[in-house]
Amino acid sequence: MAKRILLYAALAVGAFVSVFPYLLVVLTAFKTQAQLSQTAPWLPGLPPTADNLVEMLESDFPRFLLNTAVMTALLTVGQLVFTTFAAYAFARLRFRGRDLLFWLFVATMMVPSAVTMIPLFLIMRELGLINTWYGLLAPYVLGTPYGIFLMRQFFKTLPAGLEEAARIDGAGPLTILLRVMLPLCRPALGTLAIITVISSWNSFLWPLIITSGDDTKVITVAIATLKQGIGVDYNLMMAGSLIALVPMVAIFVFFQKHIVRSVVLTGLK
Amino acid sequence: MTSQTVSGTAGLTEPAVKRRRRGGWHAYLFVAPSLFGVVAFLLLPMVIVLVLSLFDWELLSAPEFAGLDNYVRLAGDGEAWHSLGVTIAYVLLSIPLQTVLALALAMLLNQRVKGVRFYRSLFVVPWMATPIVLALIWNWIFDPRDGAINSALALVGVTGPDWLSDPTWALPAVALVSVWQYTGYNMLFFLAGLQGIPKELHDAAETDGATPAQRFWRVTLPLLNPTMFFVSVTNLIGAFQVFDTIYAMTAGGPSQTTEVINFRIYQTAFKEFDFGYAATLSTLLFLIIFLVTMAQVRFFGKRTTYDLS
Repeated sequence: MAKRILLYAALAVGAFVSVFPYLLVVLTAFKTQAQLSQTAPWLPGLPPTADNLVEMLESDFPRFLLNTAVMTALLTVGQLVFTTFAAYAFARLRFRGRDLLFWLFVATMMVPSAVTMIPLFLIMRELGLINTWYGLLAPYVLGTPYGIFLMRQFFKTLPAGLEEAARIDGAGPLTILLRVMLPLCRPALGTLAIITVISSWNSFLWPLIITSGDDTKVITVAIATLKQGIGVDYNLMMAGSLIALVPMVAIFVFFQKHIVRSVVLTGLK
Repeated sequence: MTSQTVSGTAGLTEPAVKRRRRGGWHAYLFVAPSLFGVVAFLLLPMVIVLVLSLFDWELLSAPEFAGLDNYVRLAGDGEAWHSLGVTIAYVLLSIPLQTVLALALAMLLNQRVKGVRFYRSLFVVPWMATPIVLALIWNWIFDPRDGAINSALALVGVTGPDWLSDPTWALPAVALVSVWQYTGYNMLFFLAGLQGIPKELHDAAETDGATPAQRFWRVTLPLLNPTMFFVSVTNLIGAFQVFDTIYAMTAGGPSQTTEVINFRIYQTAFKEFDFGYAATLSTLLFLIIFLVTMAQVRFFGKRTTYDLS
């Protein structure tokens, strides 16, 4: 019995530590500058104020939020479409050089993203795409080797004779993919979509390098510069953090079962 | 177009579909966009990094072939080796702790616990948040005057250090954020691994009189080998490239005590515009990640992996 209590105590501590920083964000975002220094960080400021949130929402922040949403949407759609096509071909079509090409894809999974940043920047500079949407999106919109690997594994689990009936009816590969295969792919596509949304929304180093103007500035870059801009006004910074976290929290609340399954399935950071 | 590709690679061949399939060009069309992406944005950059590391190029002037000059410079560059040391210290401070904690949490959850799903979901919450936003939040938690940690320490009469501006504490503090962020995420894999171990094996060991410790070392851990391999490889690859939290929490300071290699590469390229040398540093980072990964492949490969299926 004592063991059980200890077990639940340990789990409760773990859960508390996991959510405590989020709690702190909410508490701090609704405090005035004066309450910030007078109340303990873990206590609410009374009365709570919405001034910080209003100030952040009246700044350029919503615009950067919109930029991030556009980037995330375009990257997710692009990755889903191109990944599906490539993965389907690798899994279920036969063509000369297929295995060689596939191993090429798998090998590139080993390339650390940190190493490709400088040459990617130079390529975009050569193409005159610095500080443009094209430059921001191009390296990631065509899909990642990891996503293709994941989807290929999924396509291989579908029954072998699936295409035959459609083929006898005279359907070409495109029709088979869109009409027969795609409806069966919903769970795998959902997994890929969640992963892409999270990684796009959180991406920082590439946007930091490739964009400089406000037209393409995303929320992570805006948050990073917030610190230099407003010094130690933590109530404002936490208001900004809260706004940036809302979409991720919303995704979590709606898809948590799916997310846990996705993580275990794919193990993608 | 013939499609008589006879593949000898085990594991990649489909169930023997002998008949020719028409429309091979469709396949190439399907693969083309992704193939272009992989070649243009992953393979080409790798080649560029290697070539560029042999050049002296400060972006405004024309690139000049420099042979191995950059590598000679690297050998005598105390700052570069310092940042490599910082990176290794960061890895050692974060990875072992977060792996052990993740395994411990998974073992707790693998018992008959009420609300497993609830806890499992909560533990993943830190992993989802934007690293840059997290950095800001932890800056606030580590704030020397009003931050949560020092405020709590003050309650028991202890004056906490300046955490992020203290050369002794800055790196452990940043490493702690990584532990916080990835423990729950890694726990998911261990939990999945643990649930795949048949209960009979534990029962058999217990009947044979094995103590809980013996069961852990002789049954649980060896059977978790594949999970451990996966967790260890992905965590190390990620940790060697850490950037976001460093950038937003300490910017490499105080006095370069948190200047990890990836941050140094960023500074060299995009603040000092020394692209040739930055490429040399990138090559070094790639080599280290590659060697560390290979070492793990050998280490885990030597251990027997039991097939339970």
